[in-house]
Amino acid sequence: MRRDCDHLIPYIANELKECERMAFVEHLKNCTECKKEYQELSQAWHALPFDYTEIEVPESLKGEVLGFVFDHKGKSGTETFMAKMSKLAIMLKSQFTPVSISIVAVLLLAIIGLGIANVQEKNHHAENIPIEILTAIPLKAANQSHPGTNGMAYIVQQESEKNLVVQVHELPGVEGSQVYQVWLLKNGTRENGGIFKPDENGSGILTYQLAEGQTFDQIGITVEPDADSIQPRGEKIAGS
Amino acid sequence: MKEKYDTELMRLVNEKHGHALEELYNRYIKLIYSFVMKFCNGNEEKTKEIIQLVFLRLWTTNSHYDPSQGSFVNWLLTITRNICIDYLRKEKRKTQHHQEEHEEIADPANVIEQRVNTNDITKAKNKLPTAQRKLIDLLYWKGYSLSEIAKLEQEPLGTIKSRLHQALKGLRKHLELEDIK
Ligand SMILES: [Zn+2]
Repeated sequence: MRRDCDHLIPYIANELKECERMAFVEHLKNCTECKKEYQELSQAWHALPFDYTEIEVPESLKGEVLGFVFDHKGKSGTETFMAKMSKLAIMLKSQFTPVSISIVAVLLLAIIGLGIANVQEKNHHAENIPIEILTAIPLKAANQSHPGTNGMAYIVQQESEKNLVVQVHELPGVEGSQVYQVWLLKNGTRENGGIFKPDENGSGILTYQLAEGQTFDQIGITVEPDADSIQPRGEKIAGS
Repeated sequence: MKEKYDTELMRLVNEKHGHALEELYNRYIKLIYSFVMKFCNGNEEKTKEIIQLVFLRLWTTNSHYDPSQGSFVNWLLTITRNICIDYLRKEKRKTQHHQEEHEEIADPANVIEQRVNTNDITKAKNKLPTAQRKLIDLLYWKGYSLSEIAKLEQEPLGTIKSRLHQALKGLRKHLELEDIK
């Protein structure tokens, strides 16, 4: 056993100084004894955190944590934008009964999604520009084989710009190049309202910037074979 | 598959996608919450503050998860534990109540642990000799360093190190992580 090998235990306990840690990582590559010991002992070390009893997480925590994160004062415009968003969500929350808390959660999520999309696409630093939710439109399942699909669409205004935020849950999964596409119906014609893919839990979110003066009567969501549909080719899954 | 999804989520978080951070929250809050509550002896206010710092770290720094270095959960819990330790050390420095600290050490069992706990690691830990179990509590859950523990226990650092070595070996054995011979 060499002197370097003594560092194995402090290495596992994450107590080495950065230079020592790097030296030990090198040592691990060459010392078969330490390598074997490390594999065995670190398994046990990484099992340690699971020595706890599962506790119910308070519902209010999510808003407090994500609100804190997005509200955190930093250099980027994202955070000031977020600050406004989380305040809006908190305000809405105080007006709702506990039953509608989940609606607020959905709303907060939609807002967060929008904030990011906004800042990323336009790199536009939205300081002190109020954001207003103009309309909330519930979305229902439109396909009998997936009756659980549900969601909300919002039209949100910031300055002169209007965005459509669509969030849908319990969507059937998509395969390969398949995507979900949002259609805006106006006087019998359908316009593309953007595409999205759901996550592994079947939730999807989309933000779409409405053209000036653009209005619509209904929203439809279809599953399309690829991202190139100009008119719906696939089945309708949800709609207003 | 699961790891791949977590890796992808973390990549999106690095690119500042807010909904990816929310997704991480949804996936892991139960684990993180229970873990931090144990670390904080069931203090909800501290737990909240620490969890805020954990998600802030994920969001604001470019902490990149590298799948070749182990599982995502291990990585996430390592970050969480580091923040817990920093937090508790800062707090200790603030209060500096030596006596109080001493009382805490005398009883490593904490509020959370007193509830019925039946998972494998708990059972395995309970099979360890008292000294080894106490060492793990002080080191892992109370955030004392190996040399601080050596001082507290008035034993040489080498003894503490080899005790940890034995404790981890023992856990591995009781968890049946050992290869069957
Ligand atoms: Zn070695």
